[in-house]
Amino acid sequence: MRSRLIAAFFSSVLMAYAQGFGQQSFGQQSLDHRIDLPHDAPVSLVGDEWGGSAANVRGGAFVLDVRVALSLRNSSQRRIHGITLAVLAQETAPGGKGSISVPSLDVAPGESFSVRGDLHLLRPISAGSTPMVEVELDGVLFDDLTFYGPDKLHSRRTMMVWELEARRDRRYFKTLLEQAGREGLQKELVGSLSRDADRPQFNVQTVRGRATNTDPEHEVQFAFLRFPEAPVEPMDGMARIAGNEARTPKLVVHNRSDRIVRYLEMGWIVRDQQGREFLAASVPAEMRLPPRSSSQILQDAALRFDPRTSVEGMTGFISSVEFMDGSFWIPSREELDDPTLRRVVAPSPEEQRLVQIYRKKGLNAVIEELKKF
Amino acid sequence: MSKHVTEADLAVYAAGDVSWWAQPLTRLHVSRCAVCKGRAEAYRADQQRIRELATDLPAGLDWDRLAAEIHANIRVGLEAGECVAPRTGRRGIPAGWRVAAAMAGFTALLISAWWLNMPAAQTASLGRAMKAMTHWQISRGLRFEDSGPLVEATAAGIELRENGSALAVTHGVNSRPVAVSLSVQGSARARYIDSDTGQVTITSVYAQ
Repeated sequence: MRSRLIAAFFSSVLMAYAQGFGQQSFGQQSLDHRIDLPHDAPVSLVGDEWGGSAANVRGGAFVLDVRVALSLRNSSQRRIHGITLAVLAQETAPGGKGSISVPSLDVAPGESFSVRGDLHLLRPISAGSTPMVEVELDGVLFDDLTFYGPDKLHSRRTMMVWELEARRDRRYFKTLLEQAGREGLQKELVGSLSRDADRPQFNVQTVRGRATNTDPEHEVQFAFLRFPEAPVEPMDGMARIAGNEARTPKLVVHNRSDRIVRYLEMGWIVRDQQGREFLAASVPAEMRLPPRSSSQILQDAALRFDPRTSVEGMTGFISSVEFMDGSFWIPSREELDDPTLRRVVAPSPEEQRLVQIYRKKGLNAVIEELKKF
Repeated sequence: MSKHVTEADLAVYAAGDVSWWAQPLTRLHVSRCAVCKGRAEAYRADQQRIRELATDLPAGLDWDRLAAEIHANIRVGLEAGECVAPRTGRRGIPAGWRVAAAMAGFTALLISAWWLNMPAAQTASLGRAMKAMTHWQISRGLRFEDSGPLVEATAAGIELRENGSALAVTHGVNSRPVAVSLSVQGSARARYIDSDTGQVTITSVYAQ
């Protein structure tokens, strides 16, 4: 009797093992996909490549490896300066949504350009299998700062900030070239390259609304980097610190401009017990802040750092502001010329693009690139 | 009375050991049947005589000697039993070791099944969770597991996880990100640069 039970047990284990092995071999399937561009979209699809994309069954979900390269043509009459595509496996489930953005473009009408991305998304099996992933146009930003798209991912806001940063940085490099010559420009590009290599990058996690740490809490006040030209001034702020976690940041900001502010973003720099500083996260806030008035920003979220990290200090700075009329403010190069910011904040996508051109093709290629704008 | 009570039942009845459910019927039959009544009385008389005989022990009985003889007989009996009926089964591995060997085999089976079936990202997540758990148990005590989506930014990229499993990850096309950023509203961005063209691509994942 006992030997029969043992045999039955091992048979069932072997069957489960074989089933798992079968799943490994046969559970992978090609990725059924759809590219959805509205009929009046300013871009049209020239070609698409999905090589390496696959769907694998894991438990109750499909794990989707989305490796896509799209070739798009500017079918509008304006120059395209940025594009964002939403990649949707399941719009409402966590892990079912991603996006691919390409800033710092300059695509003339009729010209083609490519968008490539590599994402790993999740789709519940109950959601069906056709199509498993959809690529939708979320927004296109033109050279005149007009925007086309459903903007479900607020891509207008992010692409506007990238575009304004690109214009600011190109202007800065052009001025540098005029005033300091080739050597001055080269020195700045090499300096940017060096800062990029030295920039500290720490592992940071964010989680909404939960405390996961049993250490005793204490409050730590924010210090602020104040920009003289900023329309919004940070007045006060604190967060609760428990060991390696910082949670529930609370900030007070004052609108010193003549316009209504509807959105702002703050950079959150953290200093650890060894005095090392790094940009931990951004704190965005939707609001309606009338001129000359103050408001409180409260985020029910927690940041968690490496277990050996103890948060000793925090610094905040306003990184972008959107007004009710749709215009934006971003810090100037002079305002960003702070030792802490230069050390911890990544340069704009455009500056990194120009630095990469310098690395790959040299100074003349950068000068030619600057002349295009 | 067409049928008499059996001799065995009468002996039990006479000794007072008959079961409680059979006793009324037996008693009723014996009270009405002269034959059975006579036999029952004979059994009772025999019982009384045996009790009287049992109380008369032999004169000069040595209890210590009797006990020693009984012990010796028991030992001789056991030794004789070992000689005439040796154990047929050979002495095997102790039961505890057999269970341990079975568990080791089962564990090896599970590990290889995991290795064949689990995505690398989930294995890495589990490894991180185990490492963090070990570290916390050593240095700070218990840490609660998250029950909702968690967004993580590292030098290698960005990841959305829940209960230790990777939900969404972004990779560069053959490259590492040049910058990663995190929003406290539950999203993360990773910036990649094409080394040939310099084109910047920014991928994002969203917890909500």
